[in-house]
Amino acid sequence: MSKLFYPKLAVNNIKKNSKTYIPYILTCIGAVMMFYNMCFLAEVNDIGYLSDSTSLRQILFFGAVVIGIFSFIFLFYTNSFLVKKRKKEFGLFNILGMEKKHIAKIMFFETLFTSLVSIVIGILTGILLSKLMVLLLFRLISFKIVFGFEIPIKAVLYAIFLFAGIFTINLVNNIRQVHLSKPIELLKGSNVGEKEPKTKWLMATIGALCLGYGYYIALTTESPLAALSLFFIAVILVITGTYCLFAAGSIAVLKILRRNKKYYYKAKHFISISGMIYRMKQNAAGLANICILSTAVIVMLSTTVSLYVGMEDVLRTRYPRNIIVSVYNVSDEDAEKLDAIIKEQTEKANTVQKNVARYRSIYFNTIQNGASFTLNRSGSYSSQDIAAVIFMTADDYNEMENKSISLSKDEALLYTLKGNIPGDTLDFDGFKLTVKERLDSINIEAKVSSVLFNSYCIIVDDMDTIRQIYASISGTDGNMGERSYYYGFDVTGDRHVQINLVRVLNEELNKLNLDGYTEGSEISRESFYTLYGGLFFLGLFLGLLFIMATVLIIYYKQIAEGFDDKQRYEIMQKVGMSLREVKKAIHSQILTVFFLPLVAAVIHIAFAFKVITKMLAIFNLTNIPLFAVCTAITIIVFAVFYTAVYMLTARTYYKIVS
Amino acid sequence: MALLEVNNLKKIYTTRFGGNPVQALSNVTFSIEQGEYVAIMGESGSGKTTLLNIIAAFDKPTGGDVLLNGRSIVTMSEREISAFRRDNLGFVFQDFNLLDTFSIEDNIFLPLVLAGKSYDEMNNRLKPIARKLEIDDILKKYPYEVSGGQKQRTAIARALITKPQIILADEPTGALDSRASAELLKLFDEINNEGQTILMVTHSIRAASHAKRVFFIKDGELFHQIYKASMTSEEMYQKISDTLTMIATGGVRNE
Repeated sequence: MSKLFYPKLAVNNIKKNSKTYIPYILTCIGAVMMFYNMCFLAEVNDIGYLSDSTSLRQILFFGAVVIGIFSFIFLFYTNSFLVKKRKKEFGLFNILGMEKKHIAKIMFFETLFTSLVSIVIGILTGILLSKLMVLLLFRLISFKIVFGFEIPIKAVLYAIFLFAGIFTINLVNNIRQVHLSKPIELLKGSNVGEKEPKTKWLMATIGALCLGYGYYIALTTESPLAALSLFFIAVILVITGTYCLFAAGSIAVLKILRRNKKYYYKAKHFISISGMIYRMKQNAAGLANICILSTAVIVMLSTTVSLYVGMEDVLRTRYPRNIIVSVYNVSDEDAEKLDAIIKEQTEKANTVQKNVARYRSIYFNTIQNGASFTLNRSGSYSSQDIAAVIFMTADDYNEMENKSISLSKDEALLYTLKGNIPGDTLDFDGFKLTVKERLDSINIEAKVSSVLFNSYCIIVDDMDTIRQIYASISGTDGNMGERSYYYGFDVTGDRHVQINLVRVLNEELNKLNLDGYTEGSEISRESFYTLYGGLFFLGLFLGLLFIMATVLIIYYKQIAEGFDDKQRYEIMQKVGMSLREVKKAIHSQILTVFFLPLVAAVIHIAFAFKVITKMLAIFNLTNIPLFAVCTAITIIVFAVFYTAVYMLTARTYYKIVS
Repeated sequence: MALLEVNNLKKIYTTRFGGNPVQALSNVTFSIEQGEYVAIMGESGSGKTTLLNIIAAFDKPTGGDVLLNGRSIVTMSEREISAFRRDNLGFVFQDFNLLDTFSIEDNIFLPLVLAGKSYDEMNNRLKPIARKLEIDDILKKYPYEVSGGQKQRTAIARALITKPQIILADEPTGALDSRASAELLKLFDEINNEGQTILMVTHSIRAASHAKRVFFIKDGELFHQIYKASMTSEEMYQKISDTLTMIATGGVRNE
């Protein structure tokens, strides 16, 4: 026998199974390419020029890890599908006198060829695309384009090792499967008569409970910081619930439909319901996968897109004014000096201050319980009862708002930034204040904290009262230092003027030896673009990967089902079903099966909407309408794409069946 | 008027690459009266399955005509044929052709559901048939849970439930053991005695010996026919056997 016998046979086998192998190889190439590109970006030197390169590299590296894990799971899944389809072929080889050892040899060569082709082409296309990737990424993060071309050897090695590993594991698994089965089982292969699935009420109940609780968490979480930690739990619950419900719930529903004789014994429902019941067991996991991937794609794209599109909002939320000077523990003289410096420096920079917000206050981090407050001693920020209380004196308030109110010792004005205080008596661990008036507006900027937790601004008559309150809630003598000073303003100058002004003011603060800092939106813009642009890039990239996976699952399902259904529809035609009726029945069945995951994904998104907005608040995005629009557009685009894929693959299906 | 008339039927298969055309049927003519039980015999490749496929409208003839109740099924359109098949023909196949996705009951209901009948009517029709075919205790089971004989009885029930003009059976005993075969043939006798017309294609002498008339087909032509008349099944068996031997040894055409 020629030495080349096995390699030749392997090549022939791949050619003969091209209908399933070409999509598989294309997927492998795509996965290698994407993984290489992500590694490339995490390693490439160009990114080193960015001021905020470490965080961007971290995001990109995280992306590479996600792609790696995902590729492993996904290629394993597709490979097992391929082997299942080919069992009959191996059974035939076996019966015609080939030992399992020889079959393993053929499989080895097949894997060798597919993996060589995939890895080599994948890395080559990856290298070709890498420059494009850098350009795209740099465009997204508004960074100037760097010339040159590089191939980081580390990224290439990562890709080779990862995918060689994945292919080896797949090969071992395939050989194991063929080794364990008898020739006759191989011959029968995927044609084993499947029993009708039983209704698993326990599983359906668990699924419903998981999903319900996941939804409940998503709907009831109010605090953004709590949302961050609970979201993960909710995601796991919803994923579990989705798998259980697709596996058990769908069968339960279909069986209930079948029990309704009037509904069931209609030509259209009769064929589609029985077909779906029969198929649900093998399909449930696939459909749940499609559902979860679709949800992931929509969430990733809508959040990262809205963060990126809403960048200006984000910057404005984070920096309510162009330039913000905040200093802690400022005496009256220092405050005056500071005013003078700011005035002098803005004049020097040839700009004018606008929208000035200037106030002195003192801030307590407390735990709120109705109308009573205690000091938050744990320093934790994750509890839902945390309240930021900002105290101001009546004098400062009058000066700031240009008013002339006067308060007695136990009176207070209350402005609620976020939250709710019932009743008119505030209790600070025994020290009581009566709310004289609830203010409708106040010219202070505390949006950053108010996004995250309950925040109140309380105005009392003088510093003495604030000290007494501090003494009461902290249990000390009331020595809490001076008030802090917030001075925020917009300026007319361009980017450079602003950046320069921030730098100069910081220097002056240092000279005065004050505990404070100046910050500005312009100086942070770049790092915001780096971070959010990086996230956007990652969202696009992973979104594309997941979409590719979804498409492939759909394609393989259609093909597998086509071969299964061919015979069934032939029989039905013999019993008196016209081709038109056959097409209609196929259509109604596939339509339900394929759009079920999409509908479920949209329902997931609808329930997750609120908790996602809470989390976006941590990223300083509070523009909910923007996020709603981004989500809607993402869903529509995805649905259009999904429909196109469905129609394309449905055609393949019709071709196989008829 | 005869129930089924087959006139000068021809079928020529041409291979895809323009090779030699194969004549599967050449000039077949016969007719079947209401209430008859006819078997068509012949060796593999003699054209008997082609004949049945054309009568069942699964395939179009190259020439000739098939009339059921005076109506030509050759010229019908695709859509008409489906409804016609559903309302007038009942099928029993060698490999049963039951759908694994349906319970036994639903398999039997299938043609009626396609015809848009109500559940109550279907159920009323099913009861007497299921009792007669002794499948009333397996109605809720699935095809993969029952024996071959039970599957074939299910297929017969599916054929009978539409009250067809004629039942077409393609090697109905082909996949059954001898006991199940005997039961099935007994069943066919009973159904036929109640007035049901049956046309069966087979190469089993045992099966053919139950028919009232047997056609022999060879090389696409009707070669010979014998009537059972008052013969017992055993005598008929002997006669068929002799005829087959004669055909196989190249006997001259017997007119």
